[in-house]
Amino acid sequence: MKWKIFAIIKREFITRAKTKGFIIGTLLFPLLLIFIFAGIFIFSALVKPSSRTYYVIDQTGIVYNEFVRMLPDTLKNGDLKYRFIDKTIAPEELDARLAEFQKQVFNKEIYGYLVIPADLLESREVRFSARNVSDFDELSEFERALSRIVTNHRLEQMGLSASEIREQFDQGHVNLVSSQVTATGEVQKSAGASFILTYILAYILLILTMVYGQILMRSVIEEKSQRITETILSSISPMQLLGGKIIGICLLGMTQLFIVGLMLLALVAYGETLLVGFGVNIGELLEIMREINFSATIFGFMLYYFIIGFVFFAGLFAAVGAIVNSEDEGQQFQMPLIIIIMIGYFMVFTVTKNPDTSSAFWISMIPFYTPLLMFARIAVSDPVLPSGAYLSIFTMLGFTALTIWISSRIYRVGILMYGKKPSLKEAVRWIRYK
Amino acid sequence: MKTLEVQKIRKSFGAFVAVDDVSFTVDESCVFGIIGPNGAGKTTTLRMVMNIIAPDAGTVAILGNTERSRSADLIGYLPEERGLYRKMKVGDLLTFMMDLKAMPRRESRKAIDIWLQRLDITEWKHKKIEELSKGMQQKVQFLGTIMHKPRLLILDEPFGGLDPINVNVIKEIMLELKKEGTSIIFSTHVMESAEKLCDEIFLINKGRQLLYGKLGEIKKSYGSENVLIEFEGSDEFLKTSQQIKKFDNYGNYVEAQLVKNADPQQLLREAMQNNAIRRFEIKSPSLNDIFIEAVNNSNSGRSES
Repeated sequence: MKWKIFAIIKREFITRAKTKGFIIGTLLFPLLLIFIFAGIFIFSALVKPSSRTYYVIDQTGIVYNEFVRMLPDTLKNGDLKYRFIDKTIAPEELDARLAEFQKQVFNKEIYGYLVIPADLLESREVRFSARNVSDFDELSEFERALSRIVTNHRLEQMGLSASEIREQFDQGHVNLVSSQVTATGEVQKSAGASFILTYILAYILLILTMVYGQILMRSVIEEKSQRITETILSSISPMQLLGGKIIGICLLGMTQLFIVGLMLLALVAYGETLLVGFGVNIGELLEIMREINFSATIFGFMLYYFIIGFVFFAGLFAAVGAIVNSEDEGQQFQMPLIIIIMIGYFMVFTVTKNPDTSSAFWISMIPFYTPLLMFARIAVSDPVLPSGAYLSIFTMLGFTALTIWISSRIYRVGILMYGKKPSLKEAVRWIRYK
Repeated sequence: MKTLEVQKIRKSFGAFVAVDDVSFTVDESCVFGIIGPNGAGKTTTLRMVMNIIAPDAGTVAILGNTERSRSADLIGYLPEERGLYRKMKVGDLLTFMMDLKAMPRRESRKAIDIWLQRLDITEWKHKKIEELSKGMQQKVQFLGTIMHKPRLLILDEPFGGLDPINVNVIKEIMLELKKEGTSIIFSTHVMESAEKLCDEIFLINKGRQLLYGKLGEIKKSYGSENVLIEFEGSDEFLKTSQQIKKFDNYGNYVEAQLVKNADPQQLLREAMQNNAIRRFEIKSPSLNDIFIEAVNNSNSGRSES
């Protein structure tokens, strides 16, 4: 009686969907995502606004004024970003004064100091000391300004007009307007937007696969450790039980995916108004959000890869659950699985940069990584499909069927084995049991 | 038609043979006891009957049907290792268990109300399993085993962990089901309850059949008779009687084991000569005695060979 499986599906779905954890999680999950991604922008905007004071010990006597003129940036509150104070020091006093400055830096009276040597044009080295030298932007800004000053002076020494040359450079600047070639013509698209979209979606896929895989594992462990399995198996076969659990929990995940998807769509539609309403006004972020284009193909593939990826890993998580006796053991045993899944996430970056290489193709054909990486390639190449996109649908089906078959053989034996945890070798032997 | 026919089933796990060539049949309205020491193969046998594990060889037929998935709804199974979903409410859980037995919702709802009322636990219906005591959980699980009116009820140690009042409640229901035609397989190592309830006994040890038959016949064929005598006077006759193999004097009464083909009436006459007899009872050996003797014999027999 095949339809008894519905009793299992219903129980798995309803008992979990009714929990506070699921309801809160579903509502908070998109917010958390938004928070993480928007947070990066907001945070960087929030952290900047203190102005920094530097002493400039200019031993050339000519650099200071130009240097200050080149770095006139102001902060949002109107203060100067950098405040430079000119210190003229005789060379023989230098060491003594520097020791004094160092104390001031350390006591946070100033942020740092620059020592511009008299032979700057030849040595082309400036000593930069500060409380913190990890601010890339700042370092490169200083470097750029100083390089420009030195270049100007050297050009003038050669009898050339620096400002004229600069003008020629500016007039010769060329802009690349990027478009993606598709079957139906060209589409304008920015690299940033598709990267971020891919990351968000891949992240959702990853989290859902892991979270729901673990829910399934815990569900199997509960039945085993609470000795419920045997009662249920008197009514249905282990295959029906496993199938019902996988389908029930997969439906639960799809429900969550659906709700999260709706919320993301709403965010794209109304996000700009919302963010501005909250007082967040970051041009970059809004720009990117405006450029995000959800295409139906991406959602279709995402749904497919979630389902197939979930079922693929579900089989493995179920096998782990059947082998172990308690949740603690389960946590240990699932580590290899989690690591395998995580490696896939780290590869998303490489694969999205070069989605059309043959290595990207082969990696994304490995069943462990197909759902995540093939999806990433599809998302980043959208609206063009990368090589192997359709092929992967079928290979993944095949591998999933194989995994489920193997896992269900282990599951069937494991759920009735109490006591000692079997070795991997024993678990493999279970596959051959009648 | 036999409710259950088990023929030459065998199951081994690796090199260990858990059940070896076991056959038995269970009639309608029969309480059938499977007894045996721990690890004898009782649970493995029951799991094969339930089709939870497949036998390596042999067949199991329920109501003549060997196509097992079809007969699952006719069986109720209370495993020894039992438990329930802790977070589910009693009513929901019983509904779920009846769903698994393909009982229509309309009927299962009615049955749940009737049975909860009968056991006087209606107020538990909306309580979570984890709020109930172990014994209460066991009662709920027992209900989940019988509410669909199974033709074959398999109970593995059903009384473990229950107080005497609840043991009686469950016994009563068992006998009622038996009257309605349900066959009950009852596995235990508490011989007293097996002795009280079972019509037939199957004694298993080390995966093999030791004894099998009607309880009365097994008792008749097994061992010698004992006599229980309560009297006032001298116990001299016990020492001299030709009928007695050995005896134990417990103070209040004496229990004597008779020699083979003894005449208990002759012993009674001897006893009456010099004593006032208050009680003279001929006892067939208890299932407990038979169990211990049979298992010990088989174990020593096997280790010698």
